[in-house]
Amino acid sequence: MTPLPDSLLEAVASAAVREGLVDAVFTRLRTPIGRLLVVQGGHGIIRVGFEEEPEDHVLAEVAGHLGPRIVASDRELALTRDTLDAYFAGEGDPHSLPVDLTLVGAPFRRAVLEALHRDIAAGDVVTYGALAERAGNARAYRAAATACARNPVPIVVPCHRVLPSSGGIGRYGGGPERKRTLLELEGSLPTSR
Amino acid sequence: MTTVALPPFWSLVEAHGDELLAHARRLAGDQHAEDVVQDALLRALRAYPRLRHADHLRAWLYRVTTTAAIDAHRARRRELPTDDVPAVATHDTYDEGAFETLIAPLPDGVRTALRLRFVDDLDYEGIADRLGISAVAARQRVSSAIRTLRERLPA
Repeated sequence: MTPLPDSLLEAVASAAVREGLVDAVFTRLRTPIGRLLVVQGGHGIIRVGFEEEPEDHVLAEVAGHLGPRIVASDRELALTRDTLDAYFAGEGDPHSLPVDLTLVGAPFRRAVLEALHRDIAAGDVVTYGALAERAGNARAYRAAATACARNPVPIVVPCHRVLPSSGGIGRYGGGPERKRTLLELEGSLPTSR
Repeated sequence: MTTVALPPFWSLVEAHGDELLAHARRLAGDQHAEDVVQDALLRALRAYPRLRHADHLRAWLYRVTTTAAIDAHRARRRELPTDDVPAVATHDTYDEGAFETLIAPLPDGVRTALRLRFVDDLDYEGIADRLGISAVAARQRVSSAIRTLRERLPA
């Protein structure tokens, strides 16, 4: 059977957005760290999924919070796509994009990710302890590490910029290889072995 | 927000879009199929949060597509000067001109039931669902209409 043409799908998605029929829009983006699924609601990007995460699960998770009217559109998310494409080409910083941290249940973890999104620009790095302090509790570095490990909006909320005080690049929700690639891209890969 | 866990709408579109397009082609012809699907998906999206359960979503999308095809057909008929109808009808995938002429004298609800049964090939459950009547009533409506039509046909 013939699949639906992209032009038809884009037309449906655009009309749906114009009519206010949509809870969230998603797009798939090819990047040096693999395909990303980017899901955006009315308040900002709510979820970024790495390619090994099943799309249905990621979208269902968003549907559970924002509603099931989720459509795909490259055109509706053109600004988001351009910003991320530019970032992966070495220009700009995706933390300029708005995020929606609705999927983060625990208030402190949310505060951690808000501080990270607000304060830590490309080229900067921060330790888990210093990030916990920015979020209002210097001793809660473990909670800060958990917040980063479960970050629903990686790249845009830059948990790859959070490093252990003991040296090295530490852990990453998407795997240490991706963290290394992102830090390299930003010119802030730690040189120490 | 909905009370039932409906799947993300686009998961349905990506899973069933191709067969809905094929269904629309059968109902409306190649020329109109994409418009029908586009209209159907928007109608489905409007209704989606109000669905009371997440069962039979594929069948539901088929029904929405069928309805969109019927409405598009009606809208096109209204736009056509009446003397153009036979010429246009020959382009259709089935002889709907003859079918529509045959059922034209019947009441509106009966015609809809017949179209759902013979044009869209829905079963009585599907017709019942679409018309908001019981399956038994749907079967009776279709069979009594067939009797009426038989009586009217020249022997």
